[in-house]
Amino acid sequence: MKSASVESMMRYVSPVNPAIYPHLTLVLLSIGIFFMAWFLVYEVTGNKYTRDLYKELLVALVASLFMGFGILFLLLWVGIYV
Amino acid sequence: MNQLSFLLGMIFILASSSLGEKQVTVDSNLVNKKVERKIDLASQLVQISTSVTVENTGSSAANAYIFGLDPIMESSLAFAGATLAEAEEDESEKMIVEPVKIAGQSGTFYQVKFVTPLKAGSTIDLKLDEVYIKSLRPYPAQITQSEKQLVEFVGSAFIFSPYKTVTQTTTVKLASSVIESHTKVNPVSADEDTITYGPYEDKEPFTQEEAKIHYENNKPFLTVTKMERVIEVSHWGNIAVEETFDVSHTGAQLKGSFSRYDYQRQQDGLSSVKSFTTILPAAAQDVYYRDEIGNISTSNLLEKEDHVELELRPRFPLFGGWKTHYVMGYNLPSYEYLFHSGDSYILKMRFLDHVFDDMVVEDLTVKIILPEGCKDIELQAPYDVRRSPDETHKTYLDISGRIVVIAHKSNLVESHIEDFELHYTFQRVLLLQEPLMVVIAFFVVFLVIIIFVRLDFSITKDAANESRLRLSGKVEDVLSLQSKRQRLYPSYDAAINKFKSSKDSAAFRNTLKGLDAEHRSLTTRMGEIMNSIKAESSEVAEKISEAQKISSAVKDLIQAAITNAEKVVAGKLSKQQYVDYEKTNSARRSENITKIDQIFATL
Repeated sequence: MKSASVESMMRYVSPVNPAIYPHLTLVLLSIGIFFMAWFLVYEVTGNKYTRDLYKELLVALVASLFMGFGILFLLLWVGIYV
Repeated sequence: MNQLSFLLGMIFILASSSLGEKQVTVDSNLVNKKVERKIDLASQLVQISTSVTVENTGSSAANAYIFGLDPIMESSLAFAGATLAEAEEDESEKMIVEPVKIAGQSGTFYQVKFVTPLKAGSTIDLKLDEVYIKSLRPYPAQITQSEKQLVEFVGSAFIFSPYKTVTQTTTVKLASSVIESHTKVNPVSADEDTITYGPYEDKEPFTQEEAKIHYENNKPFLTVTKMERVIEVSHWGNIAVEETFDVSHTGAQLKGSFSRYDYQRQQDGLSSVKSFTTILPAAAQDVYYRDEIGNISTSNLLEKEDHVELELRPRFPLFGGWKTHYVMGYNLPSYEYLFHSGDSYILKMRFLDHVFDDMVVEDLTVKIILPEGCKDIELQAPYDVRRSPDETHKTYLDISGRIVVIAHKSNLVESHIEDFELHYTFQRVLLLQEPLMVVIAFFVVFLVIIIFVRLDFSITKDAANESRLRLSGKVEDVLSLQSKRQRLYPSYDAAINKFKSSKDSAAFRNTLKGLDAEHRSLTTRMGEIMNSIKAESSEVAEKISEAQKISSAVKDLIQAAITNAEKVVAGKLSKQQYVDYEKTNSARRSENITKIDQIFATL
């Protein structure tokens, strides 16, 4: 198993083309910030009689997914190769 | 530099690796028929390349050839290798070189195994390469800024061989034509920057004759005293290389003070180093160069076709005995050096890269930082290296830390620029670990907010405020119900219009049934909320009740419109009458809807 050689292997490329890191960052982060803003506005404008927990969790989940991947590609874009 | 065109194979030997050397006997049937030695003293290194024609004068085949190092310099050997001259390029058999001992003879010897045994009476051409460091002694050891640097070389005029040598010549190439003195071992001739010793005939084994050469050499005597090469692999498509250097000028020491004025005006300080060039891989990007106090801007980057040239200029010229410390780094795309097949990966990179021409690296540490979660790590070094135990390196988005493979090697020269291979396995799914960590972090923050807004920190219970909050919650529900109810009206209109054109009364009835049921349930729910609001505020409840009344009026108007539409379809009503009727109906409807909106706007 250890006898594998470079000749029989493929060159490794990133699963995401590094050329689109800036675009991915901007798109994902704008969507993420939109949902995060929605979530925060919803939290501060409502009160305990008006809030809907399922809606809060759903918006929070969508916001965190987009923010998480957006931040990752931002790190990669600026040269922090995690 | 001797570029080896026909390279069969080579093995690098550490000068100090004298452990476990095997003892051999010299095959006295072998004879050095013709030896041509070229000693290159034009830089800070002593590079000896020897072409030997070996003849087997015995009656049986010989398997190996032994060569010795110059006893005067043997302790400063950095590299020794042997190749077969005239080898075909496609032949890949290795020529193995290993250190050996000869019984009853002191000195350092290396044995070269012949690829095919040398038959009796036949000859073979070998090329031996040796590189010695720190073998040129500055003499005088201290010079002033305006003086030139003179160095002394002490070597042997003859090859130090365990075999009889028939004929041999030694050509010494110097850095300049200024030769203070050289030992005369006749026949000897000096011409410009070349001294030729020999030809000498029929020398017995282990014959030595000291040859001293004192000459001018203003080439940079730069030594990298300590070098750390950090290679950080990211599976997001990047390999970051960062090298930290401690460089010192190991030529003649500077005597007296340094005058910047003379240095700028007279262009003296010939042996000092103003700048040097580092050659980086062609794919190098984002190159940086800084020392302890920050970026050094006086450096140039030239992108050539097959490499990148980085001209580094320290903050001050380096004179004898002076040193500098700097960091240089760049990024490389992963596809140049990283290979994979499924989950197994091979990183194939240079163990040591070019620092400057004719470089000497005294102590090299290579650290390879692999992504988190790599397993089955195996380093295949091009030469003997000393492995340290693996460490972990913690950086952005790590949990357990990344594995760092560490290897050391001392006394390296350009001939040591060779590829290593690092084999490891990595599961691709682990790439998702990093973004998911950020996702979870954000979600946790949001959860904390969700919990926090539900906490009540008030000391007293404010009933009025509570009631107000409850009311506002209910009003919100009412508003959302109203907006849903409002959306039903256009659906009614659409159904009526569809009926008028299709005249399909069964389908129309069906649609109406659904819409009516929805309308009813919304109105009932609003009524329930209205009743519960009475406890909080009768005023608001009254307003909602009024809106409910108007809403039922709207519903009646819609019902009337439906009846009229059915009539006109059945022909019981003339078209003109219907149009007039419809006009007033829709006017009254929109009027009522506006009223409802006005009421809800005051809530």
